[in-house]
Amino acid sequence: MTDTATAPVYTGVDDLRRIARELLEAGDVRVIIGWEAARRGARPVFVSDPAETDKLIFDTRCVHNLVTYLNPRRDHVAELGKIALVVKGCDVKAVAGLLRESQLGRADVVLIGVRCGGVLEENELPAALALTPETVAPRCYGCDNREPTLTDHLVGEPQPEPPRPVMTIDERVAALDGQPLEERWAFWTEQFGKCVRCYACRQVCPLCICEQCIVEKTRPQWIESSAHPRGNLSWNVTRAIHLAGRCVDCGECERFCPVGIPLSLLNRKLQDIVRERYDYTVSDDPENAAPIGDYRLDDQQEFIK
Amino acid sequence: MSDRYFISDSDLRGLAADLLGAGTEVIAPVATDICQSPSAIAATACTLDHSLVDIDYRALTSADELDLDRGLPQLSLKGYFLPEHEALCSWKQKGTTIEVEEVPTEFAARVVLAAKPCDAAALEVVDKVMNWDYKDELWNGRREATTIVNLTCPMIDDSCFCTAVGTAPDDVKGADGLLTPVAGGYVYEPATDKGRALIEGNKARFSGDVEADTLGREADDERAASRRRVAANLEIDAESVRDWIDTHFEDPLLSQLAIRCNGCGACTSVCPTCHCFDIVDEQEGVGHGTRRRCWDTCQAPTFTLHASGHNPRDDQHVRYRQRINHKFAIYPLKFGEVLCTGCGRCTRVCHAGQDLVEILQAIDIAARRPGDADPAAAEPEEAAS
Repeated sequence: MTDTATAPVYTGVDDLRRIARELLEAGDVRVIIGWEAARRGARPVFVSDPAETDKLIFDTRCVHNLVTYLNPRRDHVAELGKIALVVKGCDVKAVAGLLRESQLGRADVVLIGVRCGGVLEENELPAALALTPETVAPRCYGCDNREPTLTDHLVGEPQPEPPRPVMTIDERVAALDGQPLEERWAFWTEQFGKCVRCYACRQVCPLCICEQCIVEKTRPQWIESSAHPRGNLSWNVTRAIHLAGRCVDCGECERFCPVGIPLSLLNRKLQDIVRERYDYTVSDDPENAAPIGDYRLDDQQEFIK
Repeated sequence: MSDRYFISDSDLRGLAADLLGAGTEVIAPVATDICQSPSAIAATACTLDHSLVDIDYRALTSADELDLDRGLPQLSLKGYFLPEHEALCSWKQKGTTIEVEEVPTEFAARVVLAAKPCDAAALEVVDKVMNWDYKDELWNGRREATTIVNLTCPMIDDSCFCTAVGTAPDDVKGADGLLTPVAGGYVYEPATDKGRALIEGNKARFSGDVEADTLGREADDERAASRRRVAANLEIDAESVRDWIDTHFEDPLLSQLAIRCNGCGACTSVCPTCHCFDIVDEQEGVGHGTRRRCWDTCQAPTFTLHASGHNPRDDQHVRYRQRINHKFAIYPLKFGEVLCTGCGRCTRVCHAGQDLVEILQAIDIAARRPGDADPAAAEPEEAAS
């Protein structure tokens, strides 16, 4: 049945191109960042010529969280001038994160929202595929942002809920949690053992915003840069914890990892802990301060002994 | 008579078993089933393709693990010669004296079976810089101790372009011999003394009667077909690409080509020729520690950050230009070789869509364009197209 399913047509691409063209022609923005179809599939594209806005696409291959290009560390993108960014509903959570942490002013960017019914796990495909339990990105399951907020323009028709994946991220986390401590330790030891310390996870993260990452501090050195078990454990755990209550679950860290470390499991587990302990869920509301940047008198603190 | 031998499938496996039995380390591509992985990505990919596996160069524990029909290992052979991290020396402080202990620079003999020709060729390219002003004893020690046997590559996919950068899917550059699949086994062609020593030490596994008009021709045809397949992916004039890059440092094309780059450095990790490293001192307790070298990446801002705080490459497109410049202009001008063997890993690993095939094509077109130095002269041609 799934073999004959056709890819959903995400409407609004014509509107997307028209809005992009008008924004560039009016000089409201200098560049549109969206997706294009290239030799190896969908990928980010930077359009600054109104005549080239027909390059823009939106289909199930548009996996990337383009908000990473708004990250203040991206000097070469900032130099291009004012940006209009194409965002899915989930991507808006990362915009909210940057706004919440004063890394971006709302007036600094024009947001063109696209109504999305889910994306594929894999963007490097010659054509868009149908979303099936086998092909859908597991993070799309239970999406609560199919109607993008915070946007200046919104295109497309409302889309149905994405299908349930073969195994959800929560189910994978639960499966791992069900293992005895020794097994979990062995699992993560093996996974972190693969790390080559390229820091792709950090570079692609829309919310890894530190001017100087702790792993680059050498006086004193907090985290060893060698890819030995000690250094790799310190790095991967520190990265994850720094994103606790901030991670928007876009999965880009896992997708970009050249050695396939399942970072989304770690990220999701930390989200669960933050929800349990602080009753906090990352959302697309920029006013909703995350526990890592917020102090309340009733914060749980029994761990301070 | 050419120097060609036949080795059957079972004898190749037997050869690996003999070597292992004699205590020799044997490194070869090993496939690991990742269908059971809790990784969302891995497991989802697995449900799409039930044969999906991780392929890595590993030290074999048994000859049964030898699996020669698989694709390109995730990481190149580089790590076996320049590990992700390695100790250079360790120190101990005793009172006012410091004892420094050097690491050994001699290594036990080992054999790589079924290396990808692009990965072996990369070692010979990197040999140049490792023996330029300073002779890198650790690199050279491992190179000398290792016998590398290539396996003619059928081509992985449309991101392969070894033939465009001076090597080939059936090259023995950087290796000691070549296996080419034929009916029932392989034709083995030794290329160096180490490659011939492998036969001398394991005579029973090889037979010398490869007839030029049967097995020999089959191997030749296989090799030629493989070269043709790769050549169809990309054709560039590496010399004019080199000269164009060398003379167009500020050309906007180079920054345009880098625009989507996240600076993640995954490309340099998986690259068989990227060899830059950082040296760090790791204190491991009071008065003792280890000096290590670790892979570094030119895509990170800290790569060129000066102690003053100044950074000559403080923008990502400048860092990306450096990667292209180093590979296709600086290294060829200094050492006469392109610092790339066309394995395509950087393209496959980049989920932002930085595509080296496309980038080299774009530079090649710019380099071939007559009157490129004079933009006005190039315009009529553009208008006509």
